[in-house]
Amino acid sequence: MEAERAGRGRRRWSRYPSRTFYLFVSPWVLGFALLTALPLGYALLVSFTNFNGRNSRWRWVGLRNYTELVRDADVIASLVRTLAYTAITVPLMVGGGLGLAVLLNRRLKAVGLFRTIFFLPSVVPVVAMAIMWKLIFNRDAGILNAILERVSVGPTAWLVDPNAFYALIILTLWGLGGGMVIMLAALQGVPAELEEAAVVDGASRWHVFRHVTVPMISPVIFFQVVTGIIASFQIVIQPLLLAESNQVGSVALVPQSTHLYMVQVYEEFFNNNRYGYGSAMLWVFFVVILAITLVVLRSSRLWVHYQVDSEGER
Amino acid sequence: MLDRDISRRRFLTGSALVAGGAFGVPLLGACDASSGGDSSGDGKTVTLTVMYKNNELTKEHIADFEAKHPGIKISFIEYDETRLNAMLASNEPPDFVRAPAVGSAASNAQGLTTALDPYLDKSTVLKKDNLMAVNESFRWDGTRTGQGPYYGITKDWSQDATLWYNRALFEQAKIPPLSTTEPISYDELLEIAKKLTKKSGGKTQVYGLGVEWAWGLSSPIFMMILQQGGQVYNADLTETDMTTPEARRAIQWYVDFGQAGVGPTTLDPAPDGADLSLFLAKRMAITQDGYWYGGNFVKESEEIKNSVAMAPAPVMGDKRISPTYVGWGAMIPAKARHKDEAWKLMEYFMAGPPSEERAGSGWGLPGLKSQLSLLPQDLPYQKQAYQTTQAELPHVAQLPDSPYITGGGWLPVLDKHITRAIKKEITVDAAGKAITDEINKLLKQGKDQIG
Repeated sequence: MEAERAGRGRRRWSRYPSRTFYLFVSPWVLGFALLTALPLGYALLVSFTNFNGRNSRWRWVGLRNYTELVRDADVIASLVRTLAYTAITVPLMVGGGLGLAVLLNRRLKAVGLFRTIFFLPSVVPVVAMAIMWKLIFNRDAGILNAILERVSVGPTAWLVDPNAFYALIILTLWGLGGGMVIMLAALQGVPAELEEAAVVDGASRWHVFRHVTVPMISPVIFFQVVTGIIASFQIVIQPLLLAESNQVGSVALVPQSTHLYMVQVYEEFFNNNRYGYGSAMLWVFFVVILAITLVVLRSSRLWVHYQVDSEGER
Repeated sequence: MLDRDISRRRFLTGSALVAGGAFGVPLLGACDASSGGDSSGDGKTVTLTVMYKNNELTKEHIADFEAKHPGIKISFIEYDETRLNAMLASNEPPDFVRAPAVGSAASNAQGLTTALDPYLDKSTVLKKDNLMAVNESFRWDGTRTGQGPYYGITKDWSQDATLWYNRALFEQAKIPPLSTTEPISYDELLEIAKKLTKKSGGKTQVYGLGVEWAWGLSSPIFMMILQQGGQVYNADLTETDMTTPEARRAIQWYVDFGQAGVGPTTLDPAPDGADLSLFLAKRMAITQDGYWYGGNFVKESEEIKNSVAMAPAPVMGDKRISPTYVGWGAMIPAKARHKDEAWKLMEYFMAGPPSEERAGSGWGLPGLKSQLSLLPQDLPYQKQAYQTTQAELPHVAQLPDSPYITGGGWLPVLDKHITRAIKKEITVDAAGKAITDEINKLLKQGKDQIG
């Protein structure tokens, strides 16, 4: 009786497959339309104007914002800094996350406690984390300099150029526990029989890791690389919070070394009220990120391995 | 099965309909909102949309105002510049908005604010001849500030270049206290700051002088230029020249200040970006802040209350002027729906009980001359600050305000090049030239935006 009723329920849904489909995808489509497509389209329109954010008397300026930004030395410099930051942090984040995951993928006493300890920093809100690190990095009263003094290292001004760049990287790496958890899940999904077979064939632990484990988890590494690149490119809160802020407005005096692309965008929007120019910068950045992501995607054919089942499907 | 039933075309068409519906609903809603009254069902109560800071216009003030004006209800929005911009751009602004006097030129030039003269002329509580000079910065005649109609009223303000200092730290350094009525020169101030600064092992124990670096560099530099008889902008406020002898001397002073290491700068930032915590911890001997700063000490220890003193703004040149850098107040947007009711709130807030409360608290000077007598004089330091203020008020002056750039536009440019000069990467002359070029570019862009 129950089974018959359930069968009737299933039939009602399956009788209208297209309606059912739209019903289930509509929350996402609505969210995408309102929160992604609409702002993107709006920003594209604004990028062709001289809109200052508050006056409705804007006018079209054609491609002027785009031609200006490719000649803007500050924009180019901030883009180069962002590339450098990404090139340093993404390998460290992915490699560090994988290293921690390997260490914690063992049968150790209190391994759960260690996993929690390493994961915890990544759930601390970014604002709290940045403020905490700002206190740690303080030259006169920070704990980092207090520790360094114990080993006879003089006080370092961590939050000014050029050290501010390294301070930002340290702050970023503080959150590598998030990647560690994903890597850990991937490692635990590697079939033990494959690794055992390699050991039986005489492979060393390094060779097993290099030629069995890493290829097996390469799709997850690929995912981490792509999301890491995108996140690194878009970083803005951390440099702003580490910088000296005037507290009474939106202006933060960000050191040159951490004046990344999104900080430049922030400055154009909120210091200079150049919403049109800022929007053009965002669109160019979108294209740059897309291009780099596509390059990484293309390269994945060379190093990402997917499991293939007996029917040849992924 | 599903693949066969739903083609890509059908999916895209369906999605477009869903998305269209999603866009359409709020648009229709907006139409409804714009056509509808924001009064209540009885047609008599007006809902006034107010954007302010809730620690300045408090719940108690709102309840009191509503009790005294039964036909007006206040819908309160916490002050948020980004939200305000969006509301102004969509022609749906609040009716009453927090706004600065210095910096109001941009809103006034863009026609975003309401001229208040018709209301002032009729008002029995807010009279033009009772307005403190700071309100002049809210005036705009179409080309410059200080003339033409008033576009806002100041709630409180200070002459922000004045000094507060810790007499105990002066005594320790065997330096006589500063005069309460006569200003010292900027050069003397820097020399005193050097003597007051204590360093050890690469750390600073006591800073001699804080200039609230992160809060702004443009206003004090403008003041220094004006004190020497110079000009910041050209006649139509579209260009600046930071290579003039007056501007060069001002920039040079900031470079000397940074190189001397006597106070926080971007190269030696204050932990929280402001001088107060260092000053209260007796790690800063002098801080450059206005009369409002005295409000901080009321609840501090007796030791602090007995040590602090106020001194006049320093001078650079022959002209003693002591301006306000901001002067927060309120304006009524040009597209506000309930201007008459907003004016009633203006009268209540600027001349009623909240204004008397503010004046009596010591958190700034009142916007009305008649309320100067309400300034607190209970504590010795308050009496002394009152005397200094009396001596300082005749020297009040207006800072230049171009509608084509904000203080937020000036600060990063000044900071970047002055910092480079402090680090000796460039000369002071090169810094002045670079600042001039970058600010003129921003001014040109601002002019292009406003027209």
